[in-house]
Amino acid sequence: MLLENLKTALEALFGNRLRSLLTLSGVVIGVFAVTTTISLGQIATAGITGELQAFGAQSLFVSRIFDDPTSEPFSDDDIDALSRLPIEILRQRSTNVWAVADEERVRLGLNGTTANAPQIDRTIDLDRGRFFDEGDAVRGAPVIVLSADAAEELYGGAATAVGRELVIETSGGNRSFYTVIGVKKRISGALGAFANDLSGDVPLESLYRDVPGLTRGRYDFMPITIALDRDASAIERQVRAILDRRRDPESYQIQSIEGALSLFNTITVILQALLGGIGGISLLVGGIGILNIMLVSVTERTREIGLRKALGAKPRTILQQFLIEAVVLTVIGGLAGVALSIASLWAVVAAVPFLDVFVLNPWVIALALGVSVATGVIFGVWPARRAAALSPIEALRYE
Amino acid sequence: MADAVATAPAPATVPSVAGPHGGDTVIAARGLRKTYVLGGGVEVHALRGLDLDVRRGEYAAIMGPSGSGKSTLLQILGCLDLPTSGSYVLAGDEVATLDEDALSTIRNQRIGFVFQAYNLLGRATALDNVALPLLYRGLPLRERRARALEALERVGLGDRTHHRPNELSGGQKQRVAIARALATEPDILLADEPTGNLDSRTGDEILGLFDDLHQEGRTILMVTHESDVAEHCERIIRIRDGVVEASEAVAQRRRPGHAEPAPTGA
Repeated sequence: MLLENLKTALEALFGNRLRSLLTLSGVVIGVFAVTTTISLGQIATAGITGELQAFGAQSLFVSRIFDDPTSEPFSDDDIDALSRLPIEILRQRSTNVWAVADEERVRLGLNGTTANAPQIDRTIDLDRGRFFDEGDAVRGAPVIVLSADAAEELYGGAATAVGRELVIETSGGNRSFYTVIGVKKRISGALGAFANDLSGDVPLESLYRDVPGLTRGRYDFMPITIALDRDASAIERQVRAILDRRRDPESYQIQSIEGALSLFNTITVILQALLGGIGGISLLVGGIGILNIMLVSVTERTREIGLRKALGAKPRTILQQFLIEAVVLTVIGGLAGVALSIASLWAVVAAVPFLDVFVLNPWVIALALGVSVATGVIFGVWPARRAAALSPIEALRYE
Repeated sequence: MADAVATAPAPATVPSVAGPHGGDTVIAARGLRKTYVLGGGVEVHALRGLDLDVRRGEYAAIMGPSGSGKSTLLQILGCLDLPTSGSYVLAGDEVATLDEDALSTIRNQRIGFVFQAYNLLGRATALDNVALPLLYRGLPLRERRARALEALERVGLGDRTHHRPNELSGGQKQRVAIARALATEPDILLADEPTGNLDSRTGDEILGLFDDLHQEGRTILMVTHESDVAEHCERIIRIRDGVVEASEAVAQRRRPGHAEPAPTGA
């Protein structure tokens, strides 16, 4: 009986193909929206989690407030004070200079740092050439490692940049000649995707020598690396406690990748809620469409219902027949919505660089289809009951 | 054959009936009333205390002018509708006491109903149409097929099983409808103007089929407004104003395919 009713339902739906398709659209959009938003959130989370794992460490980024003239750079004493924590700290001093290569003149953020920077700051990843070594650092060698964007602007690409000469001009008019020894990769993933990073890394000694007015032992940035098995937020609190005793708590800030990610996650959740809401409304509208079409179907087939009852169909058989029709309609809509969603997610993963993992949980599909079936049952039950309650002779008399 | 006993219009008595077919009563209706309430509270009395007995194996016509209640009567006898009051005993069961599901079962197992407009499912093949009541009886597919095929062969449509109604002529459609009514082996075959939509030649074919079914011992009750058609039956029950006006045996039964009325007798 169930199979026969299913067959009847399919016949009825295929008999009114256009109408069925139009009715489906609401459910398709609803399921599509719900599936896509949930999966998109999961894809984003998976991308970020993958990135963090690839990063191999947790990190904090301590910086002074540049907009605030009273915000002093950090000192070697600050670093010593922090050194009792289970962290690695990178000393970094920054200033803005002009960089001139051939015909290009570019405003460049010049970072003086130590030779072990790539080990501590995991965002440093060499594309071409090498980072400067301890010998370069001690001598204050005139060597520079450019960011990918800087190499692009100055030399048209990483491949042509290494080995070239670069002139650094300070605001005082000093000119120094540097050699490009390496080009870093663009910071991968969500964090670096939208930033235009025009910068270069040089040994601290070279920076002090070639840029007048910089005092030794003073640092603008302290990138901090924390081992993966440590509690990063606990360490962040300890760093804050130590620095707060040594300087004005308002004169510096601590950023963490985790913090940035949690912001990103918050945005994702808000988006999900919004789109999910739209999906829910679509499903509701789709459900009302189903309700409408089922009522039309019952009315149109009143004589058929009368005949079936005249031939001995019990009310619950008729109820089942129309309920199955509604559910088949919504299940088809649900499957179409899921298919559309998979296609869109593939497209998004292919198009957005920092989303590189395609995730589609079976339970998302199950949820979407479950919601469609529920829509079919909820909005199909009333028309089906109306059909089942028809008196056979009145139904047969219906014109 | 002309020994059918007429029931008196009123008062309601139960005449004891006996005949060549064993004489047990398959339909016993007493004081059937059916009142429709139209908009504005206007009451229409379609049946006004009708009594009727039909013996097993009988072949009877119900005649009457339009509005006499003959169709209403047939629908009540077919359990498609319920009387407002009165008693209807079908093969020993008082219909008034039955619930919706039991009525469905009665319609499914005891009654074969043939409609004037055939009422076939347009999307289904002849075989599926005939098998539909068997589906509602819960028979397995194989048995449904076998029985439906048998019924179609019985009405001479063994070669049209996979045609859809729009590929069949009017007479063929009515044969499919009769096969559908027969497939369940009902106690009684009820036909509402079965030849009403057919030309006289095709109508004759259908009447010939009814004659054959009667010969096999089936009980047939047919509503018609044509005397020619009614004269194929053993008995004509005349209805007027919701009661049985007369019930008369047909002296000279017509036989299909013959211009002259054929002599009676099996």
